[in-house]
Amino acid sequence: MKGTTQATAVRPRTDRWLTLNGWFVFAFLYLPIFVVVVFSFSGAQNVGIWGGFSMRWYERMLGNDQLLNALRNSLWVALWSTIVSTIFGTAAALALDRYRKWVSRGAFDAILYLPVIIPDVTMAVMLLLWFTQVGVPLGRVSILIAHIAFNISFVAIVVRARLAHMDPAMEEAGADLYASRWQVFRRVTLPLIMPGVLGGGLLALTLSLDDVVITSFVQGPGATTLPVYVFGLIRRAVTPEINAVSTLMVTASMILVLTSLAIQNRGQKE
Amino acid sequence: MQGQTAVGLSSVTKKFGEDVVAVDDVDLEIEDGEFFSLLGPSGCGKTTTLRMIAGLEFPTDGSVRIFGEEMGLRPPNKRPVNTVFQSYALFPHMNVEDNIGFGLRMQKVEKTEIRTRVGETIDLVRLTGLNTRRPGALSGGQQQRVALARALVNQPKVLLLDEPLGALDLKLRQTMQLELKDIQANVGITFVYVTHDQEEALTMSDRIAVMDEGKLAQVGGSEDIYESPSSLFVASFVGEMSFLPGEIAESGSVRLAGGEVVQARTGSLAPGTSVTLTLRPEKLHLYGDASEAPSGRNAIDGTVTRKTFFGGALSYEVDLGASGSFDVRVENIPSMKRWDVGDKVVVDFHTEAATALAE
Amino acid sequence: MTLTDERSSSHEETAVNPKLERKAHRRESWRGFLHAVPAYVYLIIFFVLPLIIVYVFSFASRSRTGRPELEGWNVDSWTRLTDELVRTIVTRSLWMAILNTVLCLIIGYQFAYWIATRRSQKVRSFLLILVLIPFWSNFLVRTYAWRMLLDSDGYITQIGELTGLWGRMLFTIPAVFIGLLYGYLPFMVLPLYAAIERIDWSLVEAARDLYASGVKAFLRVTLPLSKPGIIAGSILVFIPSLGAYVTPDILGGAKTTLLGNFIVTQFGAARNWPFGSALSGAILIVMLLATIVYFRTGGRTV
Repeated sequence: MKGTTQATAVRPRTDRWLTLNGWFVFAFLYLPIFVVVVFSFSGAQNVGIWGGFSMRWYERMLGNDQLLNALRNSLWVALWSTIVSTIFGTAAALALDRYRKWVSRGAFDAILYLPVIIPDVTMAVMLLLWFTQVGVPLGRVSILIAHIAFNISFVAIVVRARLAHMDPAMEEAGADLYASRWQVFRRVTLPLIMPGVLGGGLLALTLSLDDVVITSFVQGPGATTLPVYVFGLIRRAVTPEINAVSTLMVTASMILVLTSLAIQNRGQKE
Repeated sequence: MQGQTAVGLSSVTKKFGEDVVAVDDVDLEIEDGEFFSLLGPSGCGKTTTLRMIAGLEFPTDGSVRIFGEEMGLRPPNKRPVNTVFQSYALFPHMNVEDNIGFGLRMQKVEKTEIRTRVGETIDLVRLTGLNTRRPGALSGGQQQRVALARALVNQPKVLLLDEPLGALDLKLRQTMQLELKDIQANVGITFVYVTHDQEEALTMSDRIAVMDEGKLAQVGGSEDIYESPSSLFVASFVGEMSFLPGEIAESGSVRLAGGEVVQARTGSLAPGTSVTLTLRPEKLHLYGDASEAPSGRNAIDGTVTRKTFFGGALSYEVDLGASGSFDVRVENIPSMKRWDVGDKVVVDFHTEAATALAE
Repeated sequence: MTLTDERSSSHEETAVNPKLERKAHRRESWRGFLHAVPAYVYLIIFFVLPLIIVYVFSFASRSRTGRPELEGWNVDSWTRLTDELVRTIVTRSLWMAILNTVLCLIIGYQFAYWIATRRSQKVRSFLLILVLIPFWSNFLVRTYAWRMLLDSDGYITQIGELTGLWGRMLFTIPAVFIGLLYGYLPFMVLPLYAAIERIDWSLVEAARDLYASGVKAFLRVTLPLSKPGIIAGSILVFIPSLGAYVTPDILGGAKTTLLGNFIVTQFGAARNWPFGSALSGAILIVMLLATIVYFRTGGRTV
């Protein structure tokens, strides 16, 4: 690509149109979120009306025990499902990328990719039927089990992409320089795939904090997550309190994106 | 140089899957202190052979010994050899110092000793001052030196080099060739050097093994390989060579396709055997007519059909009609006579310059 | 890497023979398998078996109270898939998913192309981050935002009423469309950007040099080269669009039931688990077929 600037491929008239389209899309992507954030600070009782700056909806949110309980559940599920799926997913990625021939490798490859292309609703139905059939009580644990089940695959895909870009000679060099298998993994492989592992972990965290459909199927009494709780609120009535919760969730997402970008940046420099 | 065997391979075969035979029944003895090259086109099995010595690959069959010790299925971290990889494989998350010290740290060498040895090796490969740089911030040549230092610092019994200069440009490659040779003479370690560049192999090696399709085609000293190739493959792969088809007329002479009979080295080939006469372009001489040609040599009539200027030399393609054509290389010196396309010439060469090889 | 087990290697300091090499290979394979075991076992228990049970349940019967009973096996749930109601819902869901994918592709391609053709690397990175933020933002929140905007006293409705161009859009099909487009556009942009950014622009210049017009160069060079992005993006948009539940539920209301909501209803109010299972099983088959066909045809055309 060097020597050829990419813009040479675009004529000025086309470029003007693309730029216009670009900013229009950005407006489309950002205005709705912006409106929600702004109105979370509105004192008015009614959602779409500006009633002067106020923090009352945030105060109300912090006083809502059900909501706080749901938030706690969400964090618990997100954290544990991220940890477990990151370990399992990374090991699975290594099994597929670093070891060529083993029995049923092809089958495992297929099984590992299915959860990614399966629709949420189908996954939700599957797990509900299975849990009721096997006798897993619906609650926090069943939610965790479900989240790990869909997260493993996403972690594995991200880590595998990273492994694919890694020169296998790195590990060979490690072994050639007297490192045992474990030392090769610890000192060479792991540091090199770390951006992928962390990226996969952050994706798992986000997906876990995002999920509504699957969780709403496998939740139990008293054990729901924040998105499912909020979903219930929205279905009943739209209140400004939802704006406050939404703002909180968007802020959390932004922190996650920026963290993930920082990690990727570091990974590229090395 | 005392003749002890550093690396010994006995009937080593490597198959990938059922059908692909990468290395086919190779026997090889590499002596201690030698600069030994494995030379061949890509896919000839030279890298696989090197990797089997390193332990990065295991033979399907056969024995690999290092200083008499059977390696069997011993993993690379338990073998007294180190490798310089083609891609260098420098750890991007460590600086130069940590890269070079990696092997010593894994062997749990004492910290102060690591520091002195790493320092010495950095000086040896002339990287002084770059200790804390990351590999990404180094030039290709510098990375090459780090890779070399990282292997040498462990004082391996044998150093394995897999096309280490392949990624460098011509000028730098030539400098590094000399430098590698110096370093090898300095440290006295056996070098096993894989390359597809015949000139590089000839320049650097004490001995060369030419490989073709997994088999050893010829093993010998540089001059040996160049002057007396044992097969057509070696003759065509190493150096410039012209080929003329013919058959053995009698011991010591070959009849070309056009009927001319020339004196040549025929070895023990029987009269009537169809052969290919191999001629090195620089060993042929051109004259205006037969009377100018020194007596006791071959003299064949031909026509100049192409002339190529190389700067230091000129190359003429000479057509012999039914016998075929070959190249003649002439040094660009003041007394040189120049020819033009279409000129009638007499080609003369010494008996020793022409070797007949069977198909 | 083909390394052997360190502990046992000391016993095998003999020349290698084919049997020993096979043993080493087997040990290496076993090692790979062991790495996969945690995920493998987990996914068999909590993915493969549940997947099978969906199909088992789709042949079950239900008692008068609506409880599924694993006896009285029948194909009623599958034959019901051809009902008028199901056909309407499936057709509606399919065309909405396809139209949404096409819309995302048209808008997303221009958008991704615009970002990828900015001269400065810094500008490109910055614009990409601006796409990533909504991509990673909570889906529910983003859908909720449109609920607010499209409601009767929301700004979009007010603008529409002032200009007389549109009325209250909430709980209509256009509202669901806006929601789907908004929800899944970033899924299309990211793979497209990745593909377009990788294109070697000297190829486009070569095409222009060989007398191709700007449009021809785009159609013959740029577009085929960005095919991997088009395929990945389309799959990432089509699949969740077809199974969408949250968006139609929040923005579509009762009148615009889509496949996702219809399935959920079977496990809620309608209390017909076997029928819900058959629907889920069918949607999965359609999805797999669509993915396979798309990859196959994508390999030749586009």
